[in-house]
Parts: sequence; C-alpha cells; structure tokens
Amino acid sequence: MSAPAQQAYLEDVEVGRVVETPAMTVTETHVQIFEALTRDWAPERAAVPDLLPLCLVIGLGWRAPHPPLVVLAFLGFEWEFVRSLRVGDTIHSRARIVTKRAMREGGVVIEEREVLDQRGDTVQRGRFSFLVARRGAG
Amino acid sequence: MLSCAPMGAELRRYFEDIEAGEEYESPGRTVTETDIVIFAGLSGDYNVLHTDAEFMKRSIFGERIAHGLLGLAIQAGLFARATQAYATLAFVGLRWRFKGPIKIGDTIRLRARVVSKQEASKPDRGLVTVARTIVNQRDEVVQEGETDLLVERRP
Repeated sequence: MSAPAQQAYLEDVEVGRVVETPAMTVTETHVQIFEALTRDWAPERAAVPDLLPLCLVIGLGWRAPHPPLVVLAFLGFEWEFVRSLRVGDTIHSRARIVTKRAMREGGVVIEEREVLDQRGDTVQRGRFSFLVARRGAG
Repeated sequence: MLSCAPMGAELRRYFEDIEAGEEYESPGRTVTETDIVIFAGLSGDYNVLHTDAEFMKRSIFGERIAHGLLGLAIQAGLFARATQAYATLAFVGLRWRFKGPIKIGDTIRLRARVVSKQEASKPDRGLVTVARTIVNQRDEVVQEGETDLLVERRP
C-alpha cells in the first residue's frame, strides 16, 4: 500500500522542529455547524465550544508548509483549556515534536501543540501521541 | 431517560449537588458517513483515513473511520443528553485515549462517572473530574478518558 508522495514517515521526523500553521478566523458558521453536528453547545452567546478550536487546528496542521506525518492512528492526548475563545477570534497553532520511539509496526511520535489567538496568547495547549508509519512498512 | 437535558439556569446542578460515584449513560448515536464528511469539511482534516474509501479498503481497518476528535466531540453532546446540565464555568482539561476505530454505521454511547470533587482556588467554584467511556454497539470501548470541569457553587 503506497501513501501519497510528500508525507513524513517516522524516519523523516525531526525531534525539536517547530511547525506553525496558517491562521483561521473562528466564525459563527463554524460554531453553528459544530453545534449541529455534535450537539455540544457553548454556554453563552458568541462563545466558541471548547473542543472546536482543537478540531480546527488539526485541519490547519495539514496546511502547514511541511509534509504531514503518515499517521496510522491517533493514540491519545492531554489537553488544557487555558481561556475560552469568542466568535471573531483568529487562531493558529504551533507544534513541536518532543520524542519519537521506533516500534515494530511504526513508531510513536509525541508532539506538543499550542493554540494561539490573534494577540499571540496561548488559549489551549497539550501533548498528542501518534502512531506513525515507517518508510516502506506502510 | 431519553429526553433532552433542561437548559434553564435554575435547573443546572451546582458543585454541591454533584456526588462522587454518580454514573450516567447516554442514549446511543449512530455515526454516519455524513457526520464524517461534515467534520472533514469543518475541520479541514481530509486525512485518507476518513475520506478515501478505496485506500481504506486495503488498510487494517478495511474501511473509512471517523476522526478521533469527531468521536470526542459527539460524546460531549451525548453527555448533555445523559444527565442534567452542570453549572459549568469552564472546561479545564482532559486526558484522552483512542482505543479503537468508530466506523460508519456504528452506534456509540457514553458512560460517565464522577471520579472526584476538589476545592478550586476560588471559593465560588469546585473542580469535578468525570471519567468517560465511549462504547460501540458491541460494548467495545472505542475511546476513554477523563475531563476536568470547573463547576459553580450554589450562589
């Protein structure tokens, strides 16, 4: 099974490299679609459901100017909600791979990620664990 | 109980009302192809795991799977349908593990249990930790973790 070109396998992962995503303005439309899909409501008007920025920055990661990881599975994460967002805030994210550990079927990559608002303040942050494919093993 | 949780502020449960050991179970929710397509469009996560049926036929899963975060987001909505709303001031954090795939047509439900209540730095609120498990129609655990919520005390 061959994966599309321009993807980062375990061997390509550079521990310590920082990747920044493009930014995106969180709109009323994002909130409405998210709430309709999940039935997870923000408690007050113009507030953004806390899980929505997290979902948006995962997508923004695919637009970062670096090849995406060949993720076989998203294993888990720890996440801290530092501050809530309002509709109209513009977010981006910054991620840094802190460890990689080769295993038989691939490798575990741990990434620290934070979500920043238009003022550069951290609004959410945490650590993700991914199972990433090895070159030629996919 | 299958009815919607009351939304009125007077019906919210305060920190004092919540007891460690309380358990809730949500109604089931069938995850559809539409859910996955909408989530891909909303999040911008078009990973082949979620969007390429042909590629996924040859994967260990055999078919497209839901985004892990879609499952997490759906359980947040299921929590609101499993119990009366808490007087939540803030969602502080979570620790989460993805244990197995959610496939198109799977019906998931949430089992939740209050594991601890702790004092917070401010006297008008407390920290409630809820352990949550998402199970599928075969009762297999697909996701699990803990969430920390800051809940208002009775005014």
